[in-house]
Formats: sequence, C-alpha cells, structure tokens
Amino acid sequence: MQTVYLKELHIANFKNYVQSKITFGEKLNLTVGHNGAGKTNLLDAIYYLCFCKSYFSSNELQNIRHEQNYFRLDGIFEMLQTKQTENIVAKIATHRKKSIIRNDIPYKRLSEHIGLLPLVFVAPDDMQLIKGSSEGRRKLIDGTLSQLDQSYLDALISYNKVIQQRNSLLKQFHERRTFNATLLETYNQQLVPLGTQIHENRIAQTALLLPLLQEYYERISSGKERVNCRYKSVLKQQSFADLLQSNLYQDRSAQRTTEGIHRDDWVFEINGYPLKKYGSQGQQKSFLIALKLAIYQLIRQHKNILPILLLDDIFDKLDELRTTQLIETVMGEHFGQIFISDTQLERMRQIFDNFEVNPKIFKIEDGVVEWLNG
Amino acid sequence: MNFPSKLIEDAVNEFTKLPGIGKKTALRLVLHLLKEETKTVEMFGETVIRMRQDIQFCQKCHNVSDHPVCSICLDLSRDASILCVVENMRDVIAIENTHQYKGLYHVLGGVISPIDGIGPDNLHVDSLVDRVKKDEVKEIIMALNPTMEGDTTIFYISKRLRDQSVRITSIARGIAFGGELEYVDELTLARSIATRLPYENYLMNH
Repeated sequence: MQTVYLKELHIANFKNYVQSKITFGEKLNLTVGHNGAGKTNLLDAIYYLCFCKSYFSSNELQNIRHEQNYFRLDGIFEMLQTKQTENIVAKIATHRKKSIIRNDIPYKRLSEHIGLLPLVFVAPDDMQLIKGSSEGRRKLIDGTLSQLDQSYLDALISYNKVIQQRNSLLKQFHERRTFNATLLETYNQQLVPLGTQIHENRIAQTALLLPLLQEYYERISSGKERVNCRYKSVLKQQSFADLLQSNLYQDRSAQRTTEGIHRDDWVFEINGYPLKKYGSQGQQKSFLIALKLAIYQLIRQHKNILPILLLDDIFDKLDELRTTQLIETVMGEHFGQIFISDTQLERMRQIFDNFEVNPKIFKIEDGVVEWLNG
Repeated sequence: MNFPSKLIEDAVNEFTKLPGIGKKTALRLVLHLLKEETKTVEMFGETVIRMRQDIQFCQKCHNVSDHPVCSICLDLSRDASILCVVENMRDVIAIENTHQYKGLYHVLGGVISPIDGIGPDNLHVDSLVDRVKKDEVKEIIMALNPTMEGDTTIFYISKRLRDQSVRITSIARGIAFGGELEYVDELTLARSIATRLPYENYLMNH
C-alpha cells in the first residue's frame, strides 16, 4: 500500500492568496481562520493540482486574485514509501491556454492527469448532493469512477459527445421538418456500447460502495440508524438499444435524448425513508461524510494507494460524540494525509488533545499562512 | 498601423485575410511585391485569379481538377474497383504522396456533424452510393480522421451500402513509425493491442 501526500505547496495569485509557500505534515494538517480568511481556498488549491480544476467555480477567471492576470500553483507530492516525487504545476493566465505540467512536461490532454494523485474532498457545499438534483450525484459518482478507471472517463467523454451530436440532429429534424432514420440509427449504435459499459460499471461500483458507506455511517452514528444507497437507472428495466428505439417519438418531439444513463440517479435512504426529506441536518451531514469516506476506501482498494483527504469545516452541525467518532476513524491506518479546516483553534486543540498525534497547525488570515506549532 | 499610401494599406488588409498571416507579415509580403518587376507581380495576380476562376471539381470523385473529370479518375492504369473515401483534397494529396495506393478516390467534402450544421445532404454521400452501384466497385477504404465525427460518417456510409456487395475497410490506426511505445497514449496503445497483426503481415508491410 502506497501513501501519496502533498509535501510542499507554492501558491501565487490563487483566489485571495498573494504568495505563499507552505510545507505540510505527512499525516495531519489543521488550518484555522475566520470566515473568508482563505481556509477553503487553500484546500481548493490542493484539489486543483489533483483534478486540473477548482472544486467550486468552473470559471477560471474567478480563480485569479482580483486585479491580477494569472495564477500559479506549484505542488510537490511524494509517495511516502518510495520517496518518489511528482511535481505538478498549474498555470492559468487570461488570454492564454490553461496549462498543467507534470515534472516539467505539459499535459496534452488534461484528462490524462485525473487519477494520478487520488484525493477526496468533503466540503460544506456538498450538502447539495443530498438536497439537490440528480446532476450533482452523477458528477460525484462519475468523478470517482473516473479516478478508478481511465477507460470509464473516456467512455463518458465519448458518450457525451455522441449525445450532443444526436441532440443537435433531433433539433435539425424539427427545424427543417426532415427525418433521416439511418443517421439517427448511426448515433444509437454508437451510444449503446458506451452507455452499457458505463451502466455496468456503475452497478458494479455501487455494489462495492454500499457496504463501505453503511460501515462508516454506523461508526460515525454509533450504530443508531441504518442507511442505504440505491442506484436508479432506466437501463435496469430494458436494454439501451430497445430504449432508444421505443423513445423515438418522444425524443423527436422533445428534440433531445430524453432517457439514458445521462439521467441516472442514486437514492439515499435512512431507515428505509428518503434521507432528503426525513433526515435531520446532523444525519444528512453524517451520511455525506460517510459517503465520502466510503469513496475514499473504494479508491484506496482499487489503486492500492491512500489518497489525500480534505475535510473542510466538517465539525459544524455534528454533535460531540459524532465528531470524536469521525476523528477516531480517519486517524486510523486506513487513511493517509488529512487536511482539516475549522474556525476555532481551541475547539480543534480540545478534539485532538485526546489523540496521540502531532498535527501541524496553520493559522490563515487574509490569504497569509502562518505555521503555529513550528 | 499607419501607411503612407492607401494602395498599400488595402493590399496589406487583403493579405491579412489569409490564414496564418498577421499585419506584420502582410506588410513584408506587400513590400516584397513592390520590389519585384511589374510583370512578375501581374503574373502572380493572374495566376491566383485563374486558379480561382478556372478550377473545377471532378464530376466523379469531387476532387479539385482542371477538367470535368480529374486526372486520377481518367488514369486507366489505376484500379477502378477500389475507392478511397476521404474528407478533403488535402487527404488525397497526402495519400498520393505515399505512392502506395493505386485505386480511385471519393472526396466527401467534410464529415457528419449536426452541431456544425453538417448533415449527409451537405456531403457527397449520395454520389458515393451511386458510384458503388454503377461502377462495380469491389472495395471502399474509409480514410477518415479517428474522431467521433469520422466514426459517425463511416457508420452512416456503411449503413447506406448495407445492401451492396461491396467490401468496406478502414485504414489501420495505431502506433506511428519511429514512435516509442512509452510515449503513445493509452487509448491508441490499447487499440493497437486489440487489433494486433499476425507477424507474417507485419513483415510484409516493411
């Protein structure tokens, strides 16, 4: 088993940071600061280096510090056991192509980088995964499975391209009052193997994820409730080819591909009821964290590597018992480098006083990072 | 940029319209033409005008041509039972330069991409189907770019030719000559392994 950890990070002009060079600890790193100090931005910078994008904003210009025209992130990751290092640099400037560089060689396709440095991020915004629409849940599962398997990501990218072309075609049929069954069939033929591959992969990985999710939820909640996660897909009832065939009329009048794996969803339940409606805020938060930890373990088992774990502002809404259970869990041997952010230094100190660990504590103020216990 | 002459300014602006030419390069080209003899420049202009006015597209394969039917289609030494389907005339030039292919061509004029507003009706697909029916074509070789749009076009044409007894093949995709395995992207490598060749064939191609 390998452990990947971020050793050094150099930030320039990313969000509210001017210039910062930080050396992290290989196990536990705590960041403390007031609201708006830049705690989440620091975690986002780490996320960026692993996924070539911000966790929060898809508009690159929003990631650049105000009144500046570029940002640069430079991270040195190390494999704890082999001491092998990976130097990842992200350079984004206005009017220039985004470039991600691995050990001095720029990537031609950014998708090649995904999965090299596995990481799991738990952010307060993630509550949308439970409360919001299916799109967020699909994104989460797709993001996870893409880290596990490059061919899943390739299939997904191709699937989306075919869907786009197919939808444009359906729109043209409508506008020009024409119809070309052979051409539509051509797109169906390309969609079926891709969609089926994605569907089967989702079934297999959901089955692996469920016991992990239940185990972590039980630990955090001390066995009070039983949770479930059901994969919902229209392909469970019929084959993709049949589905596209029978949806022909519907698709033509809607001018888009109305059903397919791009509409799949995952249903979260607590004691047999929808978590969205019947779960308390604390239960929903516990579920969310358990889900992310389960994803963490799924990646660990697949890649034989302990990913980086980012826990942003997680103590909010959790009672003392759940907080202790959570910390006990992530401090165990099944987890690698961890970053935890919070607003209160004292609360953090109290929590970690009970554990035999030496966290590296950083104080963040206005985008400036200061190492407290150095 | 300010110019002392309106004539020069107009000429520079025209050159800037060409692909890959910026203002500075355009000015360099104009100044070069100024240094040349008037006769030489006239010839240059006339050549360009004639090229644009007199160019034709071959009635059979839709490649550019000086005559109603292009020189490749007229060449009796070529094998008329094989058609190579390409996107545009640049691909014809590339394949001709290999001196390996002795069949005829069919230039589609693009690939199917509804997003860009290009459907089969905007391409020379119908005439390809007609050719296969009339000219006793035995094989068509699909030499299109390995993109989703290229694949769609191949699938579509194959479907249109389903009832014909023509053999449909596609150019091989894989590792480039002189390339090193470790630098080949995974998709290409995986495909090259899946569509590997018997050793005898491999030797034959060298």
